[in-house]
Amino acid sequence: MKKSLEKLLNKPLPGDPLLPHKALITDVEELAPGHKRFSFSFLDEKLNETWEHIPGQFVMITVPKAGEIPISICSSPTRKGTIELTVRKVGRKTEVLHQMKPGDVVAIRGPYGNGFPVEIMEGHNVLIIAGGLGLAPLRSLIWYILDKRPLYKEVYILYGTRNYESVLYKEEMRRLRKRPDVKCLYILDKIENEEDRAWTDREGLLTELIPEVDLDPADTYVAVCGPPVAYKFIGKELLKNGYPESQVFVSLERKMECGIGKCGHCQIGYKFTCVDGPIFPLWDTKNLPEML
Amino acid sequence: MEFHIDKARVLPKENLRGFLEGLKNLGKLIAPVKKQEKFYFDVIGDVSKVELSYTRTILPPKKFLVPYRRERYTYDAETLDFSSSFKAEPQIIFGIHSCDLHGISILDSVYLKENPDPRYLEVRKKTVLIGISCKPDEYCFCMSTGTAFPDGANWDLFLTDIGDNYFVTIGSTKGDEIILNMKEFFREITDEDLDLYKKSSSFKKSLFDFKNLPDLGRISQVIELEYDSPVWEEEAERCLGCGTCTNVCPTCFCYTEMDVPSLDGKTVTRVEFTTSCQYPYYSLVAGGHYFKPTRASRFKHRYYHKFVGYPYQIEKLGCVGCGRCSAECPAKISMIETIKKLRGTADEEELRKVAE
Repeated sequence: MKKSLEKLLNKPLPGDPLLPHKALITDVEELAPGHKRFSFSFLDEKLNETWEHIPGQFVMITVPKAGEIPISICSSPTRKGTIELTVRKVGRKTEVLHQMKPGDVVAIRGPYGNGFPVEIMEGHNVLIIAGGLGLAPLRSLIWYILDKRPLYKEVYILYGTRNYESVLYKEEMRRLRKRPDVKCLYILDKIENEEDRAWTDREGLLTELIPEVDLDPADTYVAVCGPPVAYKFIGKELLKNGYPESQVFVSLERKMECGIGKCGHCQIGYKFTCVDGPIFPLWDTKNLPEML
Repeated sequence: MEFHIDKARVLPKENLRGFLEGLKNLGKLIAPVKKQEKFYFDVIGDVSKVELSYTRTILPPKKFLVPYRRERYTYDAETLDFSSSFKAEPQIIFGIHSCDLHGISILDSVYLKENPDPRYLEVRKKTVLIGISCKPDEYCFCMSTGTAFPDGANWDLFLTDIGDNYFVTIGSTKGDEIILNMKEFFREITDEDLDLYKKSSSFKKSLFDFKNLPDLGRISQVIELEYDSPVWEEEAERCLGCGTCTNVCPTCFCYTEMDVPSLDGKTVTRVEFTTSCQYPYYSLVAGGHYFKPTRASRFKHRYYHKFVGYPYQIEKLGCVGCGRCSAECPAKISMIETIKKLRGTADEEELRKVAE
């Protein structure tokens, strides 16, 4: 024990993992009321080229004068040059970010977290289940898989939102539905007007779509992201339909200050969401109390 | 050999003052001092103020390694150029008890094992840790946590009281150098010194009331098995949620960061400050969702992290048995009692099953 402790102290000083890189906002798009997509590129050209991430990972973004927030990356690593984040205006810091415009400078560090096991998923079916803003980290996965389409078997996308107005990436999701190599099932909490009806004729909860997925559960990897309350129901429904717990991956949200397992806020049971997650197999609910 | 017993020396107590004066030449000297009936670690000007017959200080020496409030960066609000005025100064922390030395070793693992923090490492490289033997009181349970003696922790010198002298063991090359440079205060060990030193560990043991000590065998499992125990609710009922227990803990490391703009709004300072898992906002995310919404869930989290979390994260228990959380708790919640209560329910059930 002593020897390993001595070794820790004898190492040379490492680089500062908390120091962010300057990044320029290159594009802002209003997706839905209170939701915006921000595109960034680093001022350091080299970093734009070397930047790599895995779908499901997140960054810490410094909103000038307001502070740092963890946001999951919604662009695919297969499309280099820019990083995209989907941000809902929900608190003090995101409100400031929402006022920012193309040309403004922020600072970003990362990527952090484990990401979805995209390599293990290769050669299998993939079922993607997104609820509301949960589409953000999954959009990264969707485009990653579609860009490497031959590596994966069947791909299903289930997407549930409150109404058509709150659907994110409307055009993209519409185009996805037209693709022959991916099956899309969209659902709305309530269909109230023509717009809603034009989007989908399905009304109800996201869980209702799960039994309709025509895949062999044993050969399928599932990626889930949605509001905290949804996980319990989605998880239960997936298990009921025979999906193995070790093949269902959920993306979780917790309070974070550092992203590198030092601030403690994001602990779920004995794990840190920022370094051991934010992607957890459903299997972990057995070991981690209060995970879902 | 970990202790380098062949290099050990004896420091006669009358030379202590001279030794402390000598240490001041190496950097900032920090040692326990008395304030009314309590003790605390402070920077020493006058070495006669150093108080070595203390049981525990209010705060652990952690505050000199990771300050409770620290400025991480200052950045320009327009250009986002980050800069830092951080500078580590050489310092000697003198008179640390075994539990706190183990506490610092735990922090070493937390800060340096994965994603190492260069600031902590720099401070740590410039810090000399000199420990001293101690006598336990009713709050101490280092005997249960295995931290009653400094073995296995990371320190430079350790002074064991053997009557008229201190038996000085050496834990690092840094410690060895200090003794070499201040040879005049030390003398060779005699057989009699060694004999007294060997007896010192059983002497410390004899000062514990073993009936009072909690049983920490398989403690991780006990906490997990008793996760739904009513004991958590009962104990949390008394908890005020003030966060004193985590603030005085030598191993707690959670912090919150905050960007504080200057009055003219041109520069922003990123401040990190110690937080507590006992505060509701600890788990609050944007949108108003609390992941640990009840006091009982936060109360339980502290025990869970100490006894299940740390063993998973750094392969050691997160509690060193210093007794600060129990001694300082305004609601008189005792870690020893909580563990005993938890075990009590477990053991009774086990016994009942065996009896059937």
